[in-house]
Amino acid sequence: MKNLLRVEELCREPILDHISFTMDSGEMAAIMGPSGSGKSTLLYQVAGMDQPTGGKVYLGGKEITGLSEDERAAIRLQQIGFVFQQMNMMGNLNILDNILLPALEENRVSHSRSKKELQKEAEELMQKLSVAELGERSITQVSGGQLQRACICRSMINRPEILFADEPTGALNKSAAAEVMDAFVKLNHEGTTILMVTHDSKVASRCSRILYLLDGRICGELLLQKPGTGTQKQREETVNEWLGKMGW
Amino acid sequence: MTGILKYGVRRTLMWNDIRRSRLLSAAATIFMAVSAMLMALTVLLGTNLLRSIDTLMEQAQTPDFLQMHTGDLDAEALEEFAGARAEIRDWQVSGFLNLENAGIMLGNHSLADSTQDNGLCVQGQKFDYLLDLNGALPEVQPGEVYVPVCYRAMYELEKGDVMQVGSREFMIAGFIRDAQMNSMMASSKRFLVHPEDYETMREQGQEEYLIEFLLEDGVKSSGFAASYTAQGLPANGPAITKPLMRMMNALSDGTMIAVIFLVSIVILLISLLCIRFILRLQLEKEKQETGMLRALGIGKKRVRQLYFTKYIVLSVCGAAAGLLTAWLLWRPLAVQMQELYGAPQGTWRIGMLSLPAVFAVEGIFLLSIRRTLKKSEGLTVLEALFPVQEKRERRRQYLLIGFVTAACMFLILVPGNLYSTLSSAGFVTYMGIGDAEIRMDVRGDGKSDAEAAWIAAALAEDPKTERCVLLRTKACQAVLLDGTVCDLKVEMGDHTVFPVSYQEGRAPGQETEVALSALCAKELGVTVGDVLTLQNSGREITCTVCGIYSDITNGGKTAKAVSGMWEEAPAVWSVLYAAWKEDAWKQEGAQRDAGSEETAKWRWMEDYRQLGADVTEIEAYVKETYGQTLSQIRLASDVAAGTAVLIIFVVTALFMRLLLEQNRYTVSLQKALGFSSCGIRRAYLKKGCFFAATGIAAGVAAGNLLGERLCGAVLQSLGAGSFHFLIQWERALLLHPALLLLTAALAVRVGIAKIGRIRAYECCMGKE
Ligand SMILES: Nc1ncnc2c1ncn2[C@@H]1O[C@H](COP(=O)(O)OP(=O)(O)OP(=O)(O)O)[C@@H](O)[C@H]1O
Ligand SMILES: [Mg+2]
Repeated sequence: MKNLLRVEELCREPILDHISFTMDSGEMAAIMGPSGSGKSTLLYQVAGMDQPTGGKVYLGGKEITGLSEDERAAIRLQQIGFVFQQMNMMGNLNILDNILLPALEENRVSHSRSKKELQKEAEELMQKLSVAELGERSITQVSGGQLQRACICRSMINRPEILFADEPTGALNKSAAAEVMDAFVKLNHEGTTILMVTHDSKVASRCSRILYLLDGRICGELLLQKPGTGTQKQREETVNEWLGKMGW
Repeated sequence: MTGILKYGVRRTLMWNDIRRSRLLSAAATIFMAVSAMLMALTVLLGTNLLRSIDTLMEQAQTPDFLQMHTGDLDAEALEEFAGARAEIRDWQVSGFLNLENAGIMLGNHSLADSTQDNGLCVQGQKFDYLLDLNGALPEVQPGEVYVPVCYRAMYELEKGDVMQVGSREFMIAGFIRDAQMNSMMASSKRFLVHPEDYETMREQGQEEYLIEFLLEDGVKSSGFAASYTAQGLPANGPAITKPLMRMMNALSDGTMIAVIFLVSIVILLISLLCIRFILRLQLEKEKQETGMLRALGIGKKRVRQLYFTKYIVLSVCGAAAGLLTAWLLWRPLAVQMQELYGAPQGTWRIGMLSLPAVFAVEGIFLLSIRRTLKKSEGLTVLEALFPVQEKRERRRQYLLIGFVTAACMFLILVPGNLYSTLSSAGFVTYMGIGDAEIRMDVRGDGKSDAEAAWIAAALAEDPKTERCVLLRTKACQAVLLDGTVCDLKVEMGDHTVFPVSYQEGRAPGQETEVALSALCAKELGVTVGDVLTLQNSGREITCTVCGIYSDITNGGKTAKAVSGMWEEAPAVWSVLYAAWKEDAWKQEGAQRDAGSEETAKWRWMEDYRQLGADVTEIEAYVKETYGQTLSQIRLASDVAAGTAVLIIFVVTALFMRLLLEQNRYTVSLQKALGFSSCGIRRAYLKKGCFFAATGIAAGVAAGNLLGERLCGAVLQSLGAGSFHFLIQWERALLLHPALLLLTAALAVRVGIAKIGRIRAYECCMGKE
């Protein structure tokens, strides 16, 4: 779909200043920029977690700014996935139950899927992100990378149209970060639209597009080839060169 | 399928939550259960008592109005009066053969030192029945006697024992409940005998008459009482109305119920505070989780519901446990009242009545929990997701310790003060009885004046007495300024010898002054300084009201004046008060064994009895009349004190433990920075004790001042005017506060014992 996400003149005083951009279905984009430039704030506005002070956000053609809190909550539940830097899950539930929680809550309203289907779906997702064996474990009994991949499973369980991630690899070491990025690329290949904030040029280089944020404005954009094409080394060099120009 | 898929989100979260915070869940449930239990017990015992009394009074067909009279009875005038009044449904005159207490033996016990008027009677002709323990009319055979049930336990009596009156022996064929005089607060006790025996015994006692009326439904007995006395019908003894009888019956066991009620209110308050604290703590700890749930797109309402479910389940458990224990405790606690008043009709229905009480208690808990949950929802998603630690909140949390210790202090002090007040010697002055040692009643037709004067002279000469006074009660009419006329019985004599407590003004000093009891002043609508006209045998005296005092004798409506008014008019009855010299019985006491002093006193009193007086030792009178009530208050206050100490310990220890859990990171950091466990512990101990001490101070103030008001209000409705606690200061200000502070300190120490086990490196490992 063209313009799955459309952001028009978005303001969040005093942090964000008239931001406009669009994303099509199937894209995987990264937002970069120095600390304090407003990346997280932008993501929260776009994901309907906060009420912007000006401008509009359209998701799938429907305006989500200006909706009531409950309506936005319903949209977050059904159409949006979100992955945080701190991998927070309910300590009272095991990994599988945490993943299923949003699905069951969504089902309370829509009754669209049977319990069997839900279980199958969760198992497939976990298989895909290589955490299939961890379902019964408590959240303290898995590694950081595994937990973050479980969080991605949770954000995907309601088949969202778009997935947001705020520094999903920020709290992970190199190899764990690579595993998580592999998961994102895989999901993107299967058609999920992804917008993520990152500090890591290596991570950003696996996206198809990079937005550069500075003092609450978009001041640069880099288009890359579709993820997976070209050698990784080439992509990283291109990104680093561009970032240098932006003053990174 | 397992977990969340099988059981659903709500149930899974709830069970896991309960399982993971067992201590807190158990604490919350216990608080809910204890509150529910106490409230249910209050309702169960209260309704049981009232129902039992009502059932008994209904079965016995208790009269609505009763007038005692000694001497000649003008039957014609009564007949005429009863015939002319439509509101009288039925009436009768019953005899009561007042016996000499010294001549009565019940089993192996002599009634010589009983202060009750014990006497014989026959079954009521038309109403006012004496019932056996099954609620039926006993069939008395000649030679048999039925004994008031209150004596059964007191004198360890059984069916088949012998009662001896003078030289006559009766076989105790059973026990009776007397709807009028069951309570030890009623001053007479009736023994049921066969009419033949009553006739033959007539010589051995003095016959009194109970003139009894049953009124039509809806007729006010107090109004009827006024019109009866206004007619000048036989009335030289006290008069009682049905509501007064019910109250006397209710009072004896009612005090225990009142204390349980007080305890249950305080415990409910404490529980509310504690549960709110527990919930806040949980919310604080799981703020990020709730934020995450909301970020995932779960609505506010649903999040609240997820948390609320747990408390619904806990409150159901608490209600069930509380109800069950209340039902189990009900019977043992109701033993005494059921012995006196019988099992109530419809126990099943009374049991059901405790349900609404329990529901109300749990409802209050759930409402308060919902309020706390709603308050925490004010945050936006982002605020909930990334909480900022509030420093101010911490300080406020310590207030819980203050509140709880204050409430517990209150709980210890009020019943304790009530007990010390009621049991102190000075309390009789609140009941309209001077602070004397001996009281002698002289009653009877006409001859009483001479007799009383004779006894007064004897007393004045007696080497044992220090001071004495003769007070003669005369009937007169009071005319108010607006012309209203009321009957008034005025006690005349020197009221400064054994003063009663005046809530306003002072004792009468001149012939033109009169003091009124609080109830009387209220009924007449006068205060100190107002003017009244008193009439007797055609002579009028205009008096000023000089004082108002408390009185709960004779229905509480009395007046006092100096002698001199109507010197010649006959007294309705006379009372003499006397106090012994301090060393009056020293000789006898020192001489032989300890019992000899008592024997000497008894002989002394017996001498005056020979002169025709009804002699009572006031201390014994108070002990017997209020002893039952006092021992119950004593028990209740001990239980309350024990509960309070337990609550302080549990709540404080729990609180400190939770606080420490919350501050774990800080403590760990402090240790990493080089603080010693000992130093950190001292800081916590200081802070906890400071707030406990503040709470105790507040509780002492509230218990002594507010508690006085509270008890005063209750006693005032019973006829006592002003009420002041007679406080045992060393207990109220030193012993109990010290005990509580010690308990609190110990609890703080136990609560923070874990400090030693918090490691310095924990703060470097992040959460979880
Ligand atoms: N709740 C808030 N109220 C006011 N200002 C805030 C709030 N949260 C963040 N800010 C400010 O808004 C600006 C942008 O914050 P934001 O978290 O979006 O930055 P960021 O680009 O995500 O930085 P980082 O890379 O460190 O995560 C910062 O200057 C920050 O100080
Ligand atoms: Mg950020």
